[in-house]
Amino acid sequence: MCAKAADLRCRCATLGVSAEAAALLLAFAMRESEAPAVELGSALQRLDRGLQPAAPGAAREALTRDLAACVRALQFHDRLMQQLAVIRNLLTRLADHPLPQMAGFGAQRWEELLAALRERLAAESHDELFELLVRSGGVGLPGSAREAQAEGSGELF
Amino acid sequence: MARILAVDDSPSMRQLVKLALSSGGHEVDVATDGVEALLFAEKQQFDVVITDVNMPNMDGISLVRELRRRSNYRFVPLLMLTTEATAERKQQGKEAGATGWLVKPFDPDRLLSIVTKVLT
Repeated sequence: MCAKAADLRCRCATLGVSAEAAALLLAFAMRESEAPAVELGSALQRLDRGLQPAAPGAAREALTRDLAACVRALQFHDRLMQQLAVIRNLLTRLADHPLPQMAGFGAQRWEELLAALRERLAAESHDELFELLVRSGGVGLPGSAREAQAEGSGELF
Repeated sequence: MARILAVDDSPSMRQLVKLALSSGGHEVDVATDGVEALLFAEKQQFDVVITDVNMPNMDGISLVRELRRRSNYRFVPLLMLTTEATAERKQQGKEAGATGWLVKPFDPDRLLSIVTKVLT
């Protein structure tokens, strides 16, 4: 019985350390990717400024279209960062409270933990991302399609 | 040409919004969160404010609420630009006093046309 309890404590502690390490790695990766994205944005600004005095015509229009495409594409970096930040925060909370939440590893406990984590997710997109992460074959959820439809939309009140 | 304040905690998003609006001839200032935006808005008058929702220190909805309390921003267009698209959040923005709700990723031309529309 004592050996079992010690083993459980050990597994809980390992999970806590793993969660903390994962959170740190995420934070590091996010910081690392920020500078190149900013550099890319700056390069686009310089390109746009450089294009201003250029002669108008088909080439100018094509470059303007390409710039617009770059602006749209680069925004996915911001979205990725937001979603990673949510995961990092979840992992940090797990690492902060590993023992009370992780006591017991049965299927029921796991479901309870998932439910508790899901409650902490405010945004719909984060909820879907979480679903994708914890369940294989979660791609193509109805909410994902709904969100994809909403992307780029605008509404004036 | 309008004077626009773009508020976002992401450096790359601030750059992209600035790039998109500057190419339309607008003068764009940027702020990193709601608190900084309020400071800028008190120092100078902007014709449009475009803000993200989720930001540290002060979120976009609180910023809109705060700006609407000021007489010089009562009728200024305040646009939310966010990844969030739920009806509940949109309603919160509307109740706070936002003029419109745009979902990222934005298309530069579309953003410019919306800004032109709210300015006229």
